[in-house]
Amino acid sequence: MMSAVRGLTRRLPILIPFFWLLVFFLTPFFIVLQISFAEFQYGQPPYVPNFRKVEGVGDFFNQLQMMTLYSYEILLSDNLYWKAFLSSLRIAAVATFFALLIGYPLAYAMSRAPRSWQPILLMAVILPFWTSYLIRIYAWKAILQKNGFLNNVLMELSVITEPLTLLSTPFAVYLGIIYTYLPFMVLPVYSSLEKIDPSYNEAARDLGASGLTAFWRVTVPLSLPGVIAGCFLVFIPAMGEWVIPDLLGGSGTLMIGKQLATELFNNNDWPVAAAVAVCMIMVLIVPIVIFQRAQESDQRRRQEEG
Amino acid sequence: MTQQDTLISPAPTTGFSPWAEPDREPLVQFRNVTKRFGSFVAVDNVSLNIYQREFFALLGPSGCGKTTLMRMLAGFETPTSGEIIVDGKNIVDVAPDKRPINMMFQSYALFPHMSVEQNVAFGLHRAGGAAKSEIADRTQRMLKLVQLDAFAKRKPGQLSGGQKQRVALARALARSPKILLLDEPLAALDKKLREQTQFELMNIQEELGLTFLIVTHDQQEAMTVSSRIGVMRAGQLQQIGTPGEVYEYPQTGFVADFIGDTSLFDIEVQGREGDYTLAKWKGADSPVYLRSVDDSPVSEAAKVFSVRPEKVTVSREKPTGEPNVFAGKVVDIAYSGSQSVYHVELAPGVVIKALDTNRLRLVSSTITWNDQVWVSWRARSGVVLGS
Repeated sequence: MMSAVRGLTRRLPILIPFFWLLVFFLTPFFIVLQISFAEFQYGQPPYVPNFRKVEGVGDFFNQLQMMTLYSYEILLSDNLYWKAFLSSLRIAAVATFFALLIGYPLAYAMSRAPRSWQPILLMAVILPFWTSYLIRIYAWKAILQKNGFLNNVLMELSVITEPLTLLSTPFAVYLGIIYTYLPFMVLPVYSSLEKIDPSYNEAARDLGASGLTAFWRVTVPLSLPGVIAGCFLVFIPAMGEWVIPDLLGGSGTLMIGKQLATELFNNNDWPVAAAVAVCMIMVLIVPIVIFQRAQESDQRRRQEEG
Repeated sequence: MTQQDTLISPAPTTGFSPWAEPDREPLVQFRNVTKRFGSFVAVDNVSLNIYQREFFALLGPSGCGKTTLMRMLAGFETPTSGEIIVDGKNIVDVAPDKRPINMMFQSYALFPHMSVEQNVAFGLHRAGGAAKSEIADRTQRMLKLVQLDAFAKRKPGQLSGGQKQRVALARALARSPKILLLDEPLAALDKKLREQTQFELMNIQEELGLTFLIVTHDQQEAMTVSSRIGVMRAGQLQQIGTPGEVYEYPQTGFVADFIGDTSLFDIEVQGREGDYTLAKWKGADSPVYLRSVDDSPVSEAAKVFSVRPEKVTVSREKPTGEPNVFAGKVVDIAYSGSQSVYHVELAPGVVIKALDTNRLRLVSSTITWNDQVWVSWRARSGVVLGS
């Protein structure tokens, strides 16, 4: 009895996150999964409920037969969904690439700044999170629109004579995504750069490497764990992004998150929306698993070194 | 060779003394080098010559500026003023990768993402012009030199501290630098391994005929490995000399105290009696007898008197024939196996240390706590210092 209690208390630190995951991730996922197999109907809820009360084994199989793959058939037959998936992948990949291109030098400059400055710089990166993300996207809308801030400034400076069409373009969507997710790139990259012992760089210089060679051969490889973490932290949420393409993109911007919202709110077709969500999770599981693996192997390497 | 022998005898490089030859051009010259970090003066007007094939040790407590001095030679710090001449050229403005100098870092700084082999070859690839096979050959030879050829494919994370130290050494030596800098190279090793490695370093230095500059806070290490020692304190070089000179003829109280063990007493010179100089001190009512090595009178300016524990004899019977014989009480005994150091109180608050080698295997020494004893030393054994 005592040992059972002791075993439980020892496992408690593992059980708490496990329950958290069960309650807040797995349960909603199975609800969505179940809806995706349901049939659409007009009414409340807008799908034929299945698995409400199971009465015996026979009833279980009966209810199982009521499930349908119809929503998935729609996803496969209508190439709109495929295109939206591929378009999301492309947008997320391009945005991640640019976030890295901008974020790495930022993080590098931060890690090289005087020690006393670093908390302030870190704060500056985190500060935008103090304002709602929705408000910040709306602000971009105000900046980018025809008679918005950016066009006015450019006109005043006589850089352009005609206002540019910036809003409702793919450019605006990329801008919004890169802007929003840049901190998710900067923070892990900075954290891994900051951990690199400066003597590695000195050793490389001492052994005849130029500043640039030392950077490529030593600093970049050692910051790779942060780069990988940053890329996934940008790529994964960008893939499912809905608000940014909805507010900044035009009707031509195809993204799967936006498509899901349309199914749910405009078409009121919960089963198809649920099927889209399930497919999205399936697609994202691959990079998430790769990410986890990378994190684990990095941790192992650190332990070996320590 | 016991530890005591290494402490007293000058380093094994007897006969090698280029610093004594006036025409000899030094390999490295620090000329009035000063380094300030803000208002802090890390290195204060240091001038120092290091000669080819020397194993020079910079010794001092942490924060004394020894590491900064070395980092200026490596090129990681720029002097605020002064010149650093290597092989006749001022290298102050030369980038670290263009200097004929390599450094072994205290943390070893082995690239964790590269194998042992890749670490050693790193500097060879940067040299340019060398063929792949040449680089591989040289890498192999360097790894053989440090007896790590079997570990070529391992990552630094899979090596022990001692093995890492060897890889760092092989990597720094691979480019055949004119000068090898060693920053506290053995600090991370345990005592046994450290002593063994000290001799290996000396052998490698002699075998390759290179110039080594080591930075250390471990006086025993400096004494063992080096041809000469520069003792630093608060940014200044207090004394430069062979281990024997620095130990037996310290020029300041700091050097006497920092290197080896000593007892220091304030003195006031009173007068002369034959070859001896008499000085008043707090150890006893009777004066202490001083005598310089060349029998010249001891300067009136002498303020401090230093005597090493191994030069002081402790006995139960009053010894005869020495002018310096004083009575006291044993207040402490530091037993370390091969020897015991007796702390003898001569007067309230005045304690002298006397070392006795434990030649006989005794469970308990004949002299013990609170015993009334006599301490004595030869007049020439003491050293007088200005401050």
